[in-house]
Amino acid sequence: MLLANHPLPGKTIPGDTASRLSIRAAEDTARFSLRIDPAAVQAAGTAFGTPLPTRIGGMTATGGRSALQLGPDEWMLTAPVAESDGIADAFAALQEPHSLVDVGHREVGILVEGEAAALALRSAIAFDVEAMAVGSGCRTLFDKAQIVLVREDENRFRIVVWRSFADHVWGLLQAVSREIALGI
Amino acid sequence: MLLIRCPYCEAERPEVEFTYAGEAHIARPADPSALSDDEWRDFLFIRTNPRGRHFERWRHMHGCGRFFNAVRDTVTDKFAMTYKAGEPRPSDEEIALAGSATSVGEARP
Amino acid sequence: MSNFRIAGKGRVNRSRQVRFTFDGVDYTGYEGDTLASALLANGVHLVGRSFKYHRPRGILSAGSEEPNALVGTDRGNGRFEPNTRATVLEVFEGLKTESQNRWPSLTRDIGAVNDALYMLFSAGFYYKTFMWPKSFWDKVYEPVIRNAAGLGKAPTAPDPDVYASRFAHCDVLVVGGGAAGLAAALEAGRSGASVILCDEQSEIGGSLLSEPAAEINGQLAWDWLEDANAALAGMPNVTVLPRTTAIGYYHQNFIGLCQRLTDHLRIVPEGAPRERMWKVRAKQVVLAQGAIEKPLVFAGNDRPGVMLAGAARTYLNRYGVKVGNRVVVVTSHDSAWHAAFDLAKAGVEVAAIVDVRGTVPTQLAAAADALRIRTLIGWTVTGTRGRLRVSSVRVNPVGAGGKVGSAETIACDALLMSGGWTPSIHLFSHTQGSLTWNEDGQMFLPGRGKEDCCLAGAGKGRFGLKAAFEDGAAAGAAAAADAGFGVEPPAYHVEGELSFTGVTGRELPTDRDLGHAKAFVDFQNDVMAKDIRLAVREGFKSIEHIKRYTTTGMATDQGKTSNINGLAVASDALKRPIPAVGLTTFRPPYTPTSFGTFAGYNKGALFEVTRKTPIDGWAEENGAVFEPVSLWRRARYFPQGGEDMHAAVARECKAVRSSLGIFDASTLGKIEIVGPDAAEFMNRMYTNAWTKLAPGRCRYGLLLGEDGFIRDDGVIGRLAHDRFHVTTTTGGAARVLNMMEDYLQTEWPDLKVWLTSTTEQWSVIALNGPNARKLIEPFVEGIDLSDGAFPHMAMATGKICGVPTRLFRVSFTGELGFEINVPARYGRAVWEKLFEAGQRFGITPYGTETMHVLRAEKGYIIVGQDTDGTLTPDDAGLSWAIGKTKPDFVGKRSLSRPDMLAADRKQLVGLLTADPKTVLEEGAQIVLDPNQPVPMEMVGHVTSSYWSAELGRSIALAAIQGGRSLQGRTVHVPMPDKVHSATITGMVFVDPENTRLSA
Ligand SMILES: [Zn+2]
Repeated sequence: MLLANHPLPGKTIPGDTASRLSIRAAEDTARFSLRIDPAAVQAAGTAFGTPLPTRIGGMTATGGRSALQLGPDEWMLTAPVAESDGIADAFAALQEPHSLVDVGHREVGILVEGEAAALALRSAIAFDVEAMAVGSGCRTLFDKAQIVLVREDENRFRIVVWRSFADHVWGLLQAVSREIALGI
Repeated sequence: MLLIRCPYCEAERPEVEFTYAGEAHIARPADPSALSDDEWRDFLFIRTNPRGRHFERWRHMHGCGRFFNAVRDTVTDKFAMTYKAGEPRPSDEEIALAGSATSVGEARP
Repeated sequence: MSNFRIAGKGRVNRSRQVRFTFDGVDYTGYEGDTLASALLANGVHLVGRSFKYHRPRGILSAGSEEPNALVGTDRGNGRFEPNTRATVLEVFEGLKTESQNRWPSLTRDIGAVNDALYMLFSAGFYYKTFMWPKSFWDKVYEPVIRNAAGLGKAPTAPDPDVYASRFAHCDVLVVGGGAAGLAAALEAGRSGASVILCDEQSEIGGSLLSEPAAEINGQLAWDWLEDANAALAGMPNVTVLPRTTAIGYYHQNFIGLCQRLTDHLRIVPEGAPRERMWKVRAKQVVLAQGAIEKPLVFAGNDRPGVMLAGAARTYLNRYGVKVGNRVVVVTSHDSAWHAAFDLAKAGVEVAAIVDVRGTVPTQLAAAADALRIRTLIGWTVTGTRGRLRVSSVRVNPVGAGGKVGSAETIACDALLMSGGWTPSIHLFSHTQGSLTWNEDGQMFLPGRGKEDCCLAGAGKGRFGLKAAFEDGAAAGAAAAADAGFGVEPPAYHVEGELSFTGVTGRELPTDRDLGHAKAFVDFQNDVMAKDIRLAVREGFKSIEHIKRYTTTGMATDQGKTSNINGLAVASDALKRPIPAVGLTTFRPPYTPTSFGTFAGYNKGALFEVTRKTPIDGWAEENGAVFEPVSLWRRARYFPQGGEDMHAAVARECKAVRSSLGIFDASTLGKIEIVGPDAAEFMNRMYTNAWTKLAPGRCRYGLLLGEDGFIRDDGVIGRLAHDRFHVTTTTGGAARVLNMMEDYLQTEWPDLKVWLTSTTEQWSVIALNGPNARKLIEPFVEGIDLSDGAFPHMAMATGKICGVPTRLFRVSFTGELGFEINVPARYGRAVWEKLFEAGQRFGITPYGTETMHVLRAEKGYIIVGQDTDGTLTPDDAGLSWAIGKTKPDFVGKRSLSRPDMLAADRKQLVGLLTADPKTVLEEGAQIVLDPNQPVPMEMVGHVTSSYWSAELGRSIALAAIQGGRSLQGRTVHVPMPDKVHSATITGMVFVDPENTRLSA
């Protein structure tokens, strides 16, 4: 296999001395955009092996697979890289009309962790990040880049961003983490 | 920056997530070839451009991705209500009802 | 150098001396000083020259409303800022400052001759004087005026600082950290609500910082303040932001706060932002911005040493600085008496208190007597003297019926004035809230609001500390309650209140000719009372017009100290009440704000998103010259050994046509269209017919707007019965997807089809040239590449170099071509592998410039370059791409509108210049007859123009009226140096039979 080439220049931004913030590129995952009539969500969940959430912003996860509902008929499915073909095959057998598109290479993940994680994100996200429920996600803008933001834990967020926008997001996070390290 | 309620996400989201998409309730004719040149011109270009209440389309572009409709006052910029694409134009009563739920109290000088 | 610092007074840190310079002279101040207080402590009042007349000016105020004391500041390392207000600039060790708008020096300024030439500069002088001749405006008048009149000089070097921004959401935002704001924040904070308290000054406290003698609930003001600050600091739900100005109040309680982070620091930490823009969304807002003191309008009120009485009191009590050794106070309001008392108690000689009112409260008169201060009740001020600093004031009694008696002159080195107070309603005004005129207080007060906000304290006309505390506490509690948090506001007990009665707002009576009085209303824009009267005499009736004609209130201070005085003068001249004259609208920002703060992080590398393909790094390492294409940066050409673009492109073109070129096409927009109704959707969107396109085949797709004009194009492959791989132009990707979603969601929601952007899922490597197939054959698995099995416009999925691929046989060059799609993370590795293997064919990387030339040689258009949103398929020679039998598609109906069928529409054609070496300029206009008089009739324009190495001459494409019927005709392209002629041809310059496509 050829070498994969990651768009982020470095893989981590070191946290400040108090370790209130650490930022790193996430591991690659298998990722699909699933579009299907919400009436068929159960059949889709069966194909995926994990029931799908039924509310925009909702997330479900089991056994390393997760599903995030981004729109009324849109879900982002993620799984370990090795399971990609299996998921594609399972959906190929699904009778309900749908669209499953592999977007595993389209985006990259960035993990923003630590006490100051929400503060760091507030530098460039207009909605109330602090009020975001743990275990939810949504599409939004980070400065001028469209991202999917997932709150995985109180102090852990995942940004999923199209790879050509990743540099911009990363550069801005670097500037922000400098501010936070300086306590300014 | 305005806050706009997306009727699909059922949440108020910041304006930057949205894009404007022109006047609402202008359906594409089922058979354009049946229209006269003048009728087709009107469909293409003629818009109401009111001062005050405006029925318009927005898209939750950087959110759920859905187009939806809104009633907005072009003078105050205030949204009276938003509703899903394909739903009929709301009546005055419905707009008044929705508006009163979100109206701002007077200042307390 | 004289010292005006008074021992034992003020809050500055006497143990931390700081040295700074002003106009090259060294001075010392203390930590906690502003530049204004530090200069005053050194006896310096003269700090600048005025805007138009170059009159000497001093420090008027002690706050952000300052109109006069604007200075240039140099923080070192290229950090220069003009027009910084000395009254808010904190001094630090090493600060360099300079006065503005003077030459050669502040004390000897040539421009001061303007002062004698008043008639040239009176109201409307721009409009009257420089009307004729028109051509003089740019070349003579404007440069001269710009030189003579003005503020500081803009810096010429790039701003070395970085800036930040932050969004915040809170229950209650309190703007202003004085008595009212503090009380509000304390109540809201105690309720448990999330609170942000901001104040523009370096210290929270507002007027309390100038009131050390007041007692609040039994505590001295500064002790109370310390406890209050500690209480707020102890609340985790409260954020206190000093040095933070609320600059604008926008819809739905969205407020911009500019926080100054490092300007006051001697050493700025590496990478620390200078300022931060807070974008706050608050459920409730409490505006507690206090009030601004009004100057009095009388002749000579702008002389250095004439300042607001409240400012003098602040310099004394907060900074420990006396503003003079012998002062006179002139006022129409009680509060200025307290300044006189405080100064007298501090040992300053108060030569007189001149009160223009007929009577004053007895306790004030008694207090003045006790301090042996002479009081002149019912007197007026009619002039001042002193070249660079006031040296005396001329005062006259005003008798019954307003008769002004004979003058007396009183020597002084400072004249303190007060015309009462104006509530700061600026932010409330930003919300378009209505204002009501309060005749008693001669002030505008907030009326009906349009946002969830309330005002408190002096900002809404409740003067005095007790009123401010109680009003603020009530506002804070109410705001918290509205945000869902309950709390009961306490009462405050205050001792040592100032007295706050007064009259206000008319030009002071004088025994002299008002028409010659230099009585200033707007200090920063040099507008006098007589300018406003002149405007009224000339017919202006609305304050909006008077303001623009005289420029009063239009300076960078937005008339904070001048608006009400200007209104009063206009109202007197018009003989109409003030509300009938109107108040101008306040607009954001409240105070001047640096561009950097608005830009935030978006400067330098973060100015805008720069999208890079997975292969971009290789291009950079191999010396590519890049160009921006929408947000992408793309390799334009790959110069070798000192080649210029012309040479590099010629070499790259030759390589493609003779052997093999490799091109990064990853930026092409890609949309995957999936679902049982995919073909039907394609039929409706694109002009072409799609039903019969077999899986494994491609077709050129043309997309119109509903108006019938070309919007986008691209090659579209059918992967399966229900799956299409659509490509769009690089710049059109997002637009096309949005347009498709629009039709799908709102016009045809019944179609079972979904759209997904896959632009960035795939890296795209375009291989073009006769050796393209030979290169990839050994690397491809699962696809028969023979011409029979995989002809032009075929596509298939398989593997290349061991990774999955969607392989297209397509060509944008006219040569045998393949577009290899591989998952993005493998793009660079596949590219490198092919590049290495391609060495035996002399494989040549090429960029967008060569791509443009090669496609133009074949007459392939680029949407957005050869089309401009007004070309139909027929105009572009693309009628063949229209499915004639389709009943409908987007834009079809428009194509039969009469004006879309006119014979004289612009049509795309080829152009060959008479001189083969001439490469026309893209965008150049085309005429039929070069000898016609100017303005000539333009019949079209050049859309694409290149040097064709293949042909050894230039080629061009052009849109020309009725162009296709003018084949062989000579047209002309007038350019500044000469008129070029060219012949209209077909659009295909190279290989018209397309033999090379199947080489
Ligand atoms: Zn939405």
